Amino acid sequence: MKAMYINPFLNASMNLFKEYLNVSVTVSPPVLLKDPNELKEVSAIIGLAGDTVGAVVLTFSRETAIKMVSKFSGLSFMAITNEVIDGVGEMVNIIAGNAKKDLEDYRIEISLPGVITGNSYNINWPKGVPVISIPFQSEFGDFSVNVSMRDMKV
Amino acid sequence: MKVLIIDDSSTMRRIHRNILLEAGCKDEDIIDAEDGEKALQLANSNNIGLFIVDWNMPHLNGLQFVKIIRSMEKYSLTPVVMITSEAAKYNVMEAITSGVTNYIVKPVKAEIFLEKISKYLT
Repeated sequence: MKAMYINPFLNASMNLFKEYLNVSVTVSPPVLLKDPNELKEVSAIIGLAGDTVGAVVLTFSRETAIKMVSKFSGLSFMAITNEVIDGVGEMVNIIAGNAKKDLEDYRIEISLPGVITGNSYNINWPKGVPVISIPFQSEFGDFSVNVSMRDMKV
Repeated sequence: MKVLIIDDSSTMRRIHRNILLEAGCKDEDIIDAEDGEKALQLANSNNIGLFIVDWNMPHLNGLQFVKIIRSMEKYSLTPVVMITSEAAKYNVMEAITSGVTNYIVKPVKAEIFLEKISKYLT
């Protein structure tokens, strides 16, 4: 996977959380996700197709998801509700859609987002392609944006 | 004037509705739909003065919806504001050539959204 694929997702995430939501957020250097299934309890997934195929996963602890969506929607949630799940899905949609701005050499279609909650689940990452994890630290807790993309351009 | 908000995210529908209320729209004049199919039913049974439409939605997406309403005489000139996360230039061009009046990339601050749509609310 090309390193140039990562910065658009990092920038889109910072724009959403720091600039738009005004949440105090810092980012650490991206790392290889050693166990691609080792994600947090609330994960929003979006598929990529076209000149690249892959997936983007935004993953939060339950507490961080609740606080982040409360900030996003302007409502105060106390638990994982349908509204929180909807909000997390919309966040990954924004990150993936905004990242396309910096990937204009590629024609990419994004899927509708899906959200998984729980302690044990598998993500169908593209086979044979590493998953790069971008770790964020925020006032609402740590979270990460995970990207795996395979270049389909000949 | 009736405004139709079309977005599969309930969070976004609520955010847009609150901004329209802040702009002075009456609650009963704001209707919404979670996909293009349901929006078409509402467009047929109402006289909509402004469409605020997302792109990526199930069943009938925002672009397909816009193409259909543009072929309808009563909505051939009605303002359509697309608000979507799709930020690539080719997406913007495709939307505009399909009949979208104004294109806004999410996330957008309420004041900027309002500034862009206020001219259609008069």
